[in-house]
Amino acid sequence: MRVQLTGITKRFGRLRAVDDVSLTIEEGDFFTLLGPSGCGKTTLLRTIAGFYTPDEGEIRFGERVINHIPAHRRETGMVFQNYALFPHLSVFDNIAYGLRARKVARREIASRIGEIIRSVQLEGLEDRSPNQLSGGQQQRVALARALVICPQILLMDEPLSNLDAKLRVSMREEIRRIQKELGITTIYVTHDQEEAMAVSDRIAILNRGRLEQVGTPTEIYFRPENRFAAEFMGSSNILELDVLDYDEGASRITTEAAGQTVLIRGDKPLGKMVTVSIRPEWIRVVGKPQSGKTNILSGKVVSSTFLGSMVRYRVCGPQEQTLVIEVHDPDEKGILGNGEILWYQLPADRPVVIQG
Amino acid sequence: MLRHFKAWNIILILIFAVFFFALVYPILFIFKASFVNPETGAFSLKSYATFFHYPFYMRCLRNSLFVSTLSTFFALAIGIPFAFFLSRYHVPGKNLIKTLGTLPLILPTFIGAEAWLILLGRNGVFAKLLQPLGVEIPSIYGWKGIVLVFTLQFFPFVFLMVSSAINAIDRSLEEAATNLGSGRLRVFFTVTLPVITPAILSGALVVFYLCIENFGVPVLIGEDFRVLSVQAYNEFISEMGGNPSMAGALSMILLAITLALTVFQKFWIERKSYAMTSLNPIEVKRLRPMPTFLIWLFCAGIVFIALFPFAVVMVSSITKTQGPVMYFGQFSLDNFIRAFTIAPRPIFNSFFLATTATLIGILFGILVSYLLVRRRGAVSYLLDILVMLPLAVAGTVQGIALAATYNKGFIVLTGTWMILVLAYFIRKAPYSIKTTASLLQQIDTSIEEASINLGVPPVKSFLKVIIPIMLPGILAGAIIMWVTTLAELSSTIVLYYGPWATMTVEVFQRIGSGDFGPASAYATILILSVLIPLFILNRVSGKDLASSL
Repeated sequence: MRVQLTGITKRFGRLRAVDDVSLTIEEGDFFTLLGPSGCGKTTLLRTIAGFYTPDEGEIRFGERVINHIPAHRRETGMVFQNYALFPHLSVFDNIAYGLRARKVARREIASRIGEIIRSVQLEGLEDRSPNQLSGGQQQRVALARALVICPQILLMDEPLSNLDAKLRVSMREEIRRIQKELGITTIYVTHDQEEAMAVSDRIAILNRGRLEQVGTPTEIYFRPENRFAAEFMGSSNILELDVLDYDEGASRITTEAAGQTVLIRGDKPLGKMVTVSIRPEWIRVVGKPQSGKTNILSGKVVSSTFLGSMVRYRVCGPQEQTLVIEVHDPDEKGILGNGEILWYQLPADRPVVIQG
Repeated sequence: MLRHFKAWNIILILIFAVFFFALVYPILFIFKASFVNPETGAFSLKSYATFFHYPFYMRCLRNSLFVSTLSTFFALAIGIPFAFFLSRYHVPGKNLIKTLGTLPLILPTFIGAEAWLILLGRNGVFAKLLQPLGVEIPSIYGWKGIVLVFTLQFFPFVFLMVSSAINAIDRSLEEAATNLGSGRLRVFFTVTLPVITPAILSGALVVFYLCIENFGVPVLIGEDFRVLSVQAYNEFISEMGGNPSMAGALSMILLAITLALTVFQKFWIERKSYAMTSLNPIEVKRLRPMPTFLIWLFCAGIVFIALFPFAVVMVSSITKTQGPVMYFGQFSLDNFIRAFTIAPRPIFNSFFLATTATLIGILFGILVSYLLVRRRGAVSYLLDILVMLPLAVAGTVQGIALAATYNKGFIVLTGTWMILVLAYFIRKAPYSIKTTASLLQQIDTSIEEASINLGVPPVKSFLKVIIPIMLPGILAGAIIMWVTTLAELSSTIVLYYGPWATMTVEVFQRIGSGDFGPASAYATILILSVLIPLFILNRVSGKDLASSL
């Protein structure tokens, strides 16, 4: 089912927890709301679930406006951050809860639960009580309980945040697998950008209640539209460069940093400065050049961290800021120490011009 | 959503109405009465002038403060070491001592007073044994007896509060002090004691409050030693038709004291206490045999002395009696036969009233806690205070206020059983609200939301999910409420009317007329009705009595 949000605003007192958010989530999409804590992602999810009523705007499921449909009649399945399993009911009864509320016949309940239990791999645990289960198992019960009612939309509120790192990875793959199998429209909330990239078809980045960018994981990573998106999704070096010239035919901006000419591909800049985002792994470490080549700069190493498959340098950048440079597959002898001078080349065609 | 909201608003208004009707208005009513000259009906400060002018009344106030202070001191002197020994050292039979040690809390104080009269009273066992030998036993009447009974019945409060504070201290805290160079005594006085001081003060305040509020013990054992609660009752009940203005003034003075204690407790001590979660409790030490024996002797001895009176009452109930004279050693079931055949009504009354009040209290407790925990709004703060207000009003004061208010006018309740139920349930409601509210707080909101999300409407979700989860706690709270209601004397004695006398009233009156046998029979029924449900609760839920109080 397609979900369409138009101008959703939710206020708590004077705080605008969600501020004029418009989104369309296509049928069958795995859609992630990503942002730091307090950005309004959970509020937005709970508004879609019906636990909050939006102060402004419209929510549509398919063609139908559902603003005034109470939460218990929205036919969404929700997985809560702390799972919210009913502690007084067994695993079976937890999963059966929604089916019984829908007055599904007893035999059908048994067969549907059998099926979902197989699909989330909980066989043999039907009679356990939730507090006898591990975190991962509880997570599966919560998922099964939400899915067994065949909801139109699956809502997940940071479902993996209570699991340990290893389990988080395997569970997210499993969630993605089940979602693909069922083809169910899913709205997923997380603050973990890696998790978001791993599972999502599309991601919406939220900050202070406002939408920063919506796109596929690759779109957002390679073409962030603004500083927040660039820095929240992966890490990024943000440089502000003086514009010297613009070559219309080659879409090439000539800029200057620390006395060096830096060429960047991009649209015609509007002002005298451009802000660009450069990923740490896009910057290449080079030897000291003979004469002043374009895009080649140098800086003092502030810190050098060896991480095995790569070395992460923090280098004094051209504008007093620190640049992060990652060198993959480093050479044992070639690792620079603090205070040494590092020469590097900014790639001409990769930096992304963003709004400041 | 909107309709749901409205339903809870109506419930909120009803709850406020109940509190107003059953508590606030009656207190305002006697507040006003205390400023009215009963003969002329005009505004007058005469009652207060009388109080502060006549040494007799001032003596009541002084007496109240005196016995309460002294009893609090002794309760601390017993309760603190009792708690300390049991939490820090290996003591044989520790669990039994702990369980029995909390029992005096729940056993009616006036029955304790009765037992000491049986033992040490003018016609008591010891008097009869020792008088022929020419030995004078010290008088139990007056302040000595009151302080004895108060101390023995209320020290468990100090014990419970202090031991939970001691057990909340993490091992690392004292280890840190040792590591920084403090010796064992220094650690105790610079770390352990300061950390448990708020709990000690808290326990002291509770004990002081219970003493000053108590009616049954001073009225039975005090004789000419008058305290405020007893004198307020006398003024109100007096054969002359009573003096509502003077009773009102005395009630107001008592209320001022109890309110001040409650406010002090809430705003000062609660702020002072330290939130700690002990990950590694301090190790229980095993001492050498002799010190261990001495500690055991102290703890077991205290428990024995505190509970012995109740055993005496139970034995008395099956002893042949004639008025105040008891033939110990000669057993007879006469007292019970009489209680069940000739005068079974008080037994029925007690059970009926306590059960009705408890049932209403459970419902009320659930509704109020839901409003307090889940629907916090503009008036929640007011509700918070209102809910705990009954705890700050002495039973006698509450009884006088209710009886005076609903004596005539639009609503006449005085002399009906309903006024007893009303008094009981409002008085015990804070317990039930406290237990259900803290249970509700532990249940994450998302549990309810999960049920709503799965298609069950909000109210039904509450009934299907939240109530079953809370049920064991609600039941435990209900049992506590039921047993304490059964044992209620101070408001009952003011409010009951002829046929609605309860077992507590019966015990009180029979002691007054020297009929110790029948009094003991009713008292024994009371003791058993208190102990048996607690025993079952303990067995079924494994819950300690202490955790429900």
